[in-house]
Amino acid sequence: MFESVDHVERELASHQYICDKRIATVVFLAEKLEKPVLVEGPAGVGKTELANAVSKVTKRPMIRLQCYEGLDEAKALYEWEYSKQLLYTQILKDRFTTLMDGASTLREAASLVGKEDSVFFSDHFLVARPLLRAITSEEAPLLLVDEVDKSDPEFEAFLLEVLSDYQVTVPEIGTFEARSKPIVFLTSNNAREMSDALKRRCIHLFIDFPSREVEEQILAAKVPDAGEALIEDLVRMMQRLRELDLKKTPSISETLDWARALLALNANELNEDIVNDTFNVILKYEGDVRKAQGELTKLLEKKSPESPTNAPENAKPDAPKKGALH
Amino acid sequence: MQKKILEFADILRKSGIRVSTAETIDAFEALDLLSLDEREQFRDTLRATMVKRGEDVPTFDELFDLFWSGFYDSLRDSFGDAANRLGDFGVDLDELLKQISQMLEGMDGDMGDLSELAQAMLTADLNQIEQLIMAAANAAEINIENFLQIGFFSRRTLEQMGLDDAGGELRDLAAALEAAGMDPQQLAALREFIDGLMDAARKSVRNFTERELQKQNHDYMEKFRRETLLEKSFYHLSEEEVRKMREVVERLAQKIKNILSIRRRRLNKGKLDLHQTLRKNMALGGVPFNLIFKQRKKDRPKLVILCDVSSSVANVSRFMLQFCYSLQEAFSKIRSYVFVAELGEVTHTMEEGDINEAIEEALEGGGVINVYTRSNFGHAFHHFWQNYLSAIDNKTTVLILGDARNNYNDARAWCLRDIHNKAKNVVWLNPESPSAWGFGDSVMDRYRPYIDVAEECRNLRQLNAVIDRLIL
Ligand SMILES: Nc1ncnc2c1ncn2[C@@H]1O[C@H](COP(=O)(O)OP(=O)(O)OP(=O)(O)O)[C@@H](O)[C@H]1O
Ligand SMILES: [Mg+2]
Repeated sequence: MFESVDHVERELASHQYICDKRIATVVFLAEKLEKPVLVEGPAGVGKTELANAVSKVTKRPMIRLQCYEGLDEAKALYEWEYSKQLLYTQILKDRFTTLMDGASTLREAASLVGKEDSVFFSDHFLVARPLLRAITSEEAPLLLVDEVDKSDPEFEAFLLEVLSDYQVTVPEIGTFEARSKPIVFLTSNNAREMSDALKRRCIHLFIDFPSREVEEQILAAKVPDAGEALIEDLVRMMQRLRELDLKKTPSISETLDWARALLALNANELNEDIVNDTFNVILKYEGDVRKAQGELTKLLEKKSPESPTNAPENAKPDAPKKGALH
Repeated sequence: MQKKILEFADILRKSGIRVSTAETIDAFEALDLLSLDEREQFRDTLRATMVKRGEDVPTFDELFDLFWSGFYDSLRDSFGDAANRLGDFGVDLDELLKQISQMLEGMDGDMGDLSELAQAMLTADLNQIEQLIMAAANAAEINIENFLQIGFFSRRTLEQMGLDDAGGELRDLAAALEAAGMDPQQLAALREFIDGLMDAARKSVRNFTERELQKQNHDYMEKFRRETLLEKSFYHLSEEEVRKMREVVERLAQKIKNILSIRRRRLNKGKLDLHQTLRKNMALGGVPFNLIFKQRKKDRPKLVILCDVSSSVANVSRFMLQFCYSLQEAFSKIRSYVFVAELGEVTHTMEEGDINEAIEEALEGGGVINVYTRSNFGHAFHHFWQNYLSAIDNKTTVLILGDARNNYNDARAWCLRDIHNKAKNVVWLNPESPSAWGFGDSVMDRYRPYIDVAEECRNLRQLNAVIDRLIL
């Protein structure tokens, strides 16, 4: 459906996802090659949002599987509705009695009940979880396996199986096969490294913090009320903050939050007071705030200070050298 | 093209990026869908299909430049120089070429009579020239190991390519054109142009050979860096090495975590707990709606770490701390103490904030001890005995890091004896080799009776082995 990489870029932009060629190329390839995409990158750079935007552009319903430690097949694929089954057993008690009337031994009774197994293991009692839903979906969906790095290695192995042939077997019912291959996005913050097998199956996209131009465009698209001057100030500041050695580097989500906060305060450009008052919107750690405040004048400088001479200045101050005493 | 991509994949592999055949095929398929003219798109495609780890991206980019764009660019520069020489004669390359083919027609010939190389050079067909150089280099079996061989392999490649013959052809062509009455001004320009082309070809081949050497070196350096980091002694590390080692420790810790996670799953698949199930479902009239499984738990050890932070062993302490705190979930509790002569607790520092910053802070004494003194193990242990002995119980593993160089102070080994009696076990990691233990001012021999496991720990490989044993 995409004609070219540029086409992808334009379509995404029209759904307010601003990206560079690198990202657009991968999306283009994912659709053409029908391969899952493993998206890695720091928090808040738009990994989840990319999947969202692609689902809108391709008009595929998005089915999301959020991963966490301890997520297992039952939660991801399907579960038998155990309590409902029991409930039915209770309700249908009388029917059972009739059914078993002819049985004289326990063995006979058991086999009579056994014949009715299929009643209890039918779609009726099957709760479809995201993976099964993605496979049985009427419309070809976009499956987002979010934060796959949080899942356990065993789950990853299982996921790999599903992603290799897009079919699932429920022993009591049969095999479900995807009508058409879903587009699959897997996102990861790199809490742990994914297996080679999984990576081999995917094409890979590393999203880093955006360039100045891209970030300005994102702001303009998402916070249209912010004026050009404010956007410029803000993005310049964010780009410089990312060069500091912070515990949590602020991301696009923080930029957006900040822009909105500043608008609410009717600020149309940055100055020391405003920044000091609102630093906590973008910096989540006390230490980071202190560090940034120490550099504030430099951060606020309008001109770009990128002359190579002052580059190493934010390196750690030299610790006093210990003597060769010990 | 495919061949070149295969070759590139091979180079990536040699540099530690694992590219499988399946991934190379993906790259082919992907390239079929796109136009190859756009260099960035080409790069993005190869990257997306062949590189699957964020940290490999910089290596990929570097190699890509080396392999793809770099040489082509240099070709363009060299052959551009040759064309520029025409400018001095006020002659335009396109016009000159048109002129030549017209004259050749009149002489019953055409450019096709020239060899491939001569033709490609004359028309500045850079793609073709690149192909010919690569084919020639291939035939010359370039296997370059050091820069002394650059001249040799360049010459061999030029021979294979047949550059001298091509030069001869071009000069003959000029002579023929002269005989056919070519304008002297144009002729002079042509001759100058031909000399320029010959220089450009030689320069390009040399450049190509140099790049081959660079590629080889790149593989070599990468492998070298990774292997030696594990073996490299903790004494004397540059800041860069400390940074790299941190990454290695992180990866090693991750590996252990993965193993633990698999184990935990296996252990958790316990039996149905009938008792609990019935009790939990009492409210539902005893119908077992929710099943409860028995959780088997393995006791996680408690850890007490005593770190010598004097400069002679600071690095062992640094990486040991990083290891233990990266694996926090493997322990039920970690308490950490640092010492040189004084001893102080840094558990709190270690528990908050960024782990690496906390470690650097702890190595500076963590605000609780003065690190600018002489080591005194006896004093430190005594202090621990007086104040913190209660931190130890029979589930505690005590991990001590230090070289036991006591500056001839009193060893007070009885403190360690009491620690040993209370603890589950005592592990001592010493960056010195066992043959030095007990000699000079080393009091390792005095402490040895109260240590369950004493190990030399001088590099990452040894450290990793100790941690494995401690946890797994
Ligand atoms: N390229 C972009 N164009 C428009 N908006 C973007 C872009 N990238 C990020 N955003 C916005 O930034 C915010 C964070 O994005 P998102 O939640 O997708 O990040 P993430 O990478 O999934 O983070 P995490 O790793 O924490 O899950 C969202 O509000 C999203 O709309
Ligand atoms: Mg997300």
